This record gives sequence, C-alpha cells and structure tokens, in this order.
Amino acid sequence: MGMFKHAQFLSRTVMVQNNNVEKANRLLNSILSKEGIFEQYRRTRYYEKPTQTRRRINYEKCKAIYCEDMTRKIQFILRKNRENPFPGSE
Amino acid sequence: MILSTLQFAAGSLTKSMIVSSKHCTILPYLKHTSFRDIHITSNIMKQFRMGNQKIRVVEEKRDVIMPGEDTITISESDSKKLFPDASTPYQMFDGKAYNQLDIVNVKSTPNNTIMSLTDYRGRKGIMLRSAGVEGFKNTRKGTNIAAQQTAVTLGRRMLENGFRTVRLRIQGIGPGRMGAIKGFQLAGVNIVSITDDTRVSYNPPRPRKQRRI
Repeated sequence: MGMFKHAQFLSRTVMVQNNNVEKANRLLNSILSKEGIFEQYRRTRYYEKPTQTRRRINYEKCKAIYCEDMTRKIQFILRKNRENPFPGSE
Repeated sequence: MILSTLQFAAGSLTKSMIVSSKHCTILPYLKHTSFRDIHITSNIMKQFRMGNQKIRVVEEKRDVIMPGEDTITISESDSKKLFPDASTPYQMFDGKAYNQLDIVNVKSTPNNTIMSLTDYRGRKGIMLRSAGVEGFKNTRKGTNIAAQQTAVTLGRRMLENGFRTVRLRIQGIGPGRMGAIKGFQLAGVNIVSITDDTRVSYNPPRPRKQRRI
C-alpha cells in the first residue's frame, strides 16, 4: 500500500463519530482536496507536456492575481461600517 | 433611468457575492457573455481541430468529484477525538485494541471496485469481493451502484463470520469510493475509522501519455 508503515492509520485518517460514516468521509474528502492531494493525483495520471505545464502555471498566476484584486475590491465595497451598504439601490 | 442603471450595477454586485463561493470571484458579466450563433451545427456537437487534437466545444466529462470536496466542513470540538493521536492505537473498540482491528481495503479504480478483508497487519487475506465477481460486467463494474451492492454482500458475509468492527482503508478515487462506504453502512458493519491510502507522488516516474479521444 501507499503509506509508510509507521504512519498507517495515523495520517489521512478520520475517526468515525457516533457511527456517522458519511460525515467522516466528507470531512476526509474536504481535507484531502484542500491539501491538493486529489489534484496532484489527477494530474499525475497522465504525462503533462512541458508546454501544458507552462500554460497551466501561467494561467494559475493570472488567476491568483485576478482573484486577489477582485476579493480586495469586493471587500472594499462590502465593508460593514456604512449605514447603507448599497447606496443608490433603493 | 440613472436609478435603474444603479440598481443594475448593485444587482450585479450582489450576484457576484453569491458566485464567490469557491476560491475566487468571477463577475457574472464575464461568465455569461452571449454571442449570436451564426453556424447551423448545434453548440454541443461543434468540434474543431487544434494542432492534431480534435476538441469539442462542450467540455468533456470531468473527473469524479467526491462529496465534500468543494465544501468546507467545520468540525465542532467534540468530547471524542476526531483524528487519531499517539494513544489511539491502544484505544479499545468492541473489546479489541485499535491496532488489532481487522482492515477492509477498498480499491476503487475508474473501471472496477475491489474490496478485501484482511487481518490487522494487512497480510492475511480473509475475504475478497469485487464488482466483477458480483456479476457486473464491462462498464457497469465501475459504477457506484455496483460498488454499493458489492459492499453490502461483503458486509453481510463479514457479519455472518463475526467480523463486526473494522477499520476502512480506501485507495484511489473512482466512482465506487462513495458507494462502498454507503454499502458497508447499509450492511451494518461498525466502521471505526476511514483512512485514505491513495498513492500520490510529487516526483513520480514519467506517467503514460495522455489519452486521445
């Protein structure tokens, strides 16, 4: 199996609470996807050509910049210390 | 008129708030830019060549998305432990220490789901069942329904033979992953923990070349 002996059933493990297997599974999946393990697994199924890698990296960079700025803008517009959060929309 | 324009602007902003569920926000007007279609072929069937690849306009079916993958689950601080620690291997479950419990291995691939019951070291195989053995053939083997039915069968056999409390170890992300868990639950097997054992490498040997469909 994939895991080292000493780490088996310690890492990537969720204990089931009150026989609620579904919930434990959802938690495990969300952790794995947040850590990027699923993503890495899917990417390494097939060989990624260098051009594809470059394109992907560039796209990720652009997206990160866009997201950062857009989040900042939206946070600015939706800031909470105004009486009316949407002026002019009444 | 100015008022309506403002309303529209505000409306689009509120929409963007709703869209901002995942990692970033993409404003709706960027997503839903509509062009008038001139061609006769329907958009779904439209294909074009890019280099030596034929590309469909509508994107192909993506990988299976696991439930809970795109949502954030907040774990409340229970009195019980949610994750194992140094004392967990010696914790007692159903009269057995955690590290002495039998293991159910589930390997879910795109085309099949194989389940096996082994002893606590994972060496001695006790039972094995797969969607193919269950009677599903060809593409039907790789479905969640096949996995669920297989898990129910194996779970019942396990209970008959007295394997009541087990640990679950899952490998691979296929359609059968979720179905297997549900099946064991339906059969009434007491699952103590779920472990993911997918082989993931960050410097793998060169994988096979990409499929050309």
